Parts: sequence; C-alpha cells; structure tokens
Amino acid sequence: MLLHFSAGAQNFVSKNIRIGLFSSTPLEDIRAVSDNGNAVLVAKTREIVVQLAVKTLEFDRKLMQEHFNENYIESDKYPYAKFKGVIDQPVDFTKDGNYAVTVTGILSVHGVDKKRTIPGKVTVTNGVVQISTEFKVACVDHDIKIPKLVFTKIAEFITIKAEGKFNSLK
Amino acid sequence: MNKIKYLLISFSLFTLHARAQEADSLLKALDSGGVATTVDAAFKSTHVVLSHSSETQKKHDLDLRIRHHFGDIGGRFGSAHTLYGLDVATDLFIGLDYGVTDDFTVAIGRSKQDELFNFSGKYKLLKQKSNSSMPINMTLFAQLGWIAREPFNDGEFGQYSDRFSYFFQSIISRKFSSRLSLEVMPGFLVRNNIEDSGDSKNLFSLGFAGRMKITKRLSFIADYTVVNGLSRPKDLTETYYNPFGVGLEIETGGHIFSLNFMNSEYIVENNFIPNTKKSWSKGGVRFGFTISRNFTLFKSKNQDPDKKSKIY
Repeated sequence: MLLHFSAGAQNFVSKNIRIGLFSSTPLEDIRAVSDNGNAVLVAKTREIVVQLAVKTLEFDRKLMQEHFNENYIESDKYPYAKFKGVIDQPVDFTKDGNYAVTVTGILSVHGVDKKRTIPGKVTVTNGVVQISTEFKVACVDHDIKIPKLVFTKIAEFITIKAEGKFNSLK
Repeated sequence: MNKIKYLLISFSLFTLHARAQEADSLLKALDSGGVATTVDAAFKSTHVVLSHSSETQKKHDLDLRIRHHFGDIGGRFGSAHTLYGLDVATDLFIGLDYGVTDDFTVAIGRSKQDELFNFSGKYKLLKQKSNSSMPINMTLFAQLGWIAREPFNDGEFGQYSDRFSYFFQSIISRKFSSRLSLEVMPGFLVRNNIEDSGDSKNLFSLGFAGRMKITKRLSFIADYTVVNGLSRPKDLTETYYNPFGVGLEIETGGHIFSLNFMNSEYIVENNFIPNTKKSWSKGGVRFGFTISRNFTLFKSKNQDPDKKSKIY
C-alpha cells in the first residue's frame, strides 16, 4: 500500500470540510452549518467522496436542530449524508490553477441514493487543493416529508454549500 | 472473442472495485477517531403525562405550559350530569419553564388546587451516549410548593412554614430506540400540610414513565407513580391511590399538545403524589390536556452568517 501511494498516486484528505444548508421561504430562513465534513480525493482516478455526520450540523436554535434530527433527517437511523463521485473533467493536481468542474456520482441523504451531477470548483494553489460547490436538494427526492402543518416554513428545495481544503497524503 | 470480452469486463470491474475501496478505506480511516455523540430527545417535552421527563429546556427557550384536569368521567361525580367530567375542573395549571443553559431549567407555575405556586429547578447531570460509555440520562429535579390559599380552619397553617412542601426527584431515562424511551424516577416529598392525620409527612415515591412513538410526531405516553406501599402508613382513614396517566402527544414544531387520561385530580407533583384519591376502577378517571408553546427569547450571539435563521 505504502509503495503504491509513493508511486505517484496522490491522495488528498480533509476532516474539516465546511458544509452548510439553507432553506428559504417567505416565512422563515433557516441555516445550519458543520465544519466536520470528511472528504477524500484520489488524484489518479479523480474520485471524490464527501461525508458528513448530520448530527454535527449546528443551528442557531437548538429546538430547530432537535426537530431537524428527529423529524426530518432521522439522524439516529441515517447518521451520514454522503456524496461519492468522479470528477468529469481532467484536473492536474500538481499545477496551480482553477477548474470549473462537474462531479457525477451518488448523493446519499436520509437513506436514499440519488444519481447527481453536481457543479463545483477545484482550486490548486501552491500544491494545496481546495474545493467548493453549491447545489440544491429536493426534500421529496430523499423521502423527507414536510407535514402540512409546518409546510410553509421549510423549503421544498434545500441549498447545500460545501467548501474546504485538502491535505495531501503522501 | 467472448472470453476476451469477459476477461476485459471482469478486469475493469476489478479495478473499479479496487478504486472504490481505496477512497472508502481512506474515508474510514478518517472517521476512526470519531467521538461518541449524545443521544438526544429521549422525550419531546419536559413532561410525560403527570410526571417530568428527563428533558430540560434548550438554552434561552421559554415554554408556556397550560394544563387542565377535568372531573370524573364515571361514578358519583361523573356521567352525563357533568358531561362526563367536562363541566368540572379539578385542577388548572399555568407554568413557565426557562432554559438558563441547555442543561439547567428553572420553572414557576401556579395551580388552582390549594392555589399552589411551584418553583423548580431541573439539572441534566448525565447524558446518554451513542457508544456504551454512558447508557442513561440522569436529571435532578427539585421543587418547592407554596400553598397560597386561606386556611380552611383556624388550626391549619399554625406556622407559616406549614404552607411549604419540598419535592426531590432523580429522573433516570434511556432512549432504547428512536421510538421507545423509558424512565425511572425515585423521589422524596417533604410536606407539612397533611389531609389525613395518620399520614406520614415524608413520602417516598417511585415513578415509571415511557414514550412510544407511533409516527415521527405522534407518541403514546404513560406514567405511573408508586406511593402506596413504600413509606406511607397503611391504616389511613382516607383511601389514596397511585397516580397513573396515559396520553397521546402531538408535536408540531414548537407546539406540543397532549391529550391525557389519568386518575389523579391534581397536576403538580407536590399535590398528585400525596393526594390522589380517585381510582381508575371506580369511574375516577378523567380527561386532561396539556398545551405547550415554546418561545426562543434571545437570539444566539453567534454571528456566523452560515448559521443565522430569520423569521419574517
């Protein structure tokens, strides 16, 4: 394994990808964020995995956080949200540059897998790899039900943002 | 030709598999240092039916709680003459619970019965963890009761301190699954105002309570408190029963409604533990409800724009 890594197949990892969600309705804007996203990027295969323990998402109102975990995302049953895909465009991780890319893969949220192509940015500066993305997730796609009583407070499409720096594994 | 194709396919499958394994094993390695998370929300509310749950208010959240116990459904005081108890209110309660921190709640309330004011503090000492390091929640609860009504006779409340009662309880709960939570509540009540002169001023109690979710927002709740058979004398002129309540709890995001049936006429521990005189078996069961509304009093000082929520 060690030999394999040193033979040029560079891998990048991160334990502090910042992942946020944003729900906007005429009645209420709700945001939550976590700095504890884990991610792995395999340079050779352009494979990328980002995983978040959904319980680490923090809201500014704790009761809202409890309802998010208990009633919507069911974090006891489905503790992780995960996106695993392959960058569609070639990226040279050894040279500085900005790349607007798309990543095609599987988004797993609330126990439901959805094939998605997500736009994002890869930046390489002095050998440091950074990623950022913003995309929408439809609650209905992941079997997250919003009851009629609270319907107007929670958006049907949630905006997800993720950004972070990778450390290279040699 | 077919063989080559087969080989090619299996080879590409193999390499795909190998790649997937590489990313996944790296991810797993990252995750291995993960800390155990707390198991939150054993109960949706700070109360079950009659008793307290192990939950406390969230920091800076104020819960306005209105509770109502109606009259006997059956028996001498029930039936159609009182619309099965709905004409009668054996006890009414208005209370405020405020979260000083996430773990410490202070509360004030007032009941119709005895014009009882109650002041309480509740502290969450232990929190259940997702690994086996802490299997339970433990919450300590203390409540002062103050009877504000006029004395019924000259002898009552000879000393002003006779109006006070003190209740201490430790609430031990466990969330067994996302559906089922159970708790045990050993308690001790000290009071000066007793109805039956043979009764003990100090009473031990042992409560049991549970929550079973039917859907994400609808739960079946129940609690039972053993008082008779512990430290209470047996030869009393008055017959007392152990309080037992069942209910349905509906949560709508900020509001909690519960529709209950119970034998106890009274709402606050300092009243229902020593003074429940109605029985489930003799028409003494009654309907009751709780309405709880949660308000967030102060915006968190967190200036992180990614966390900000806004109500229009």
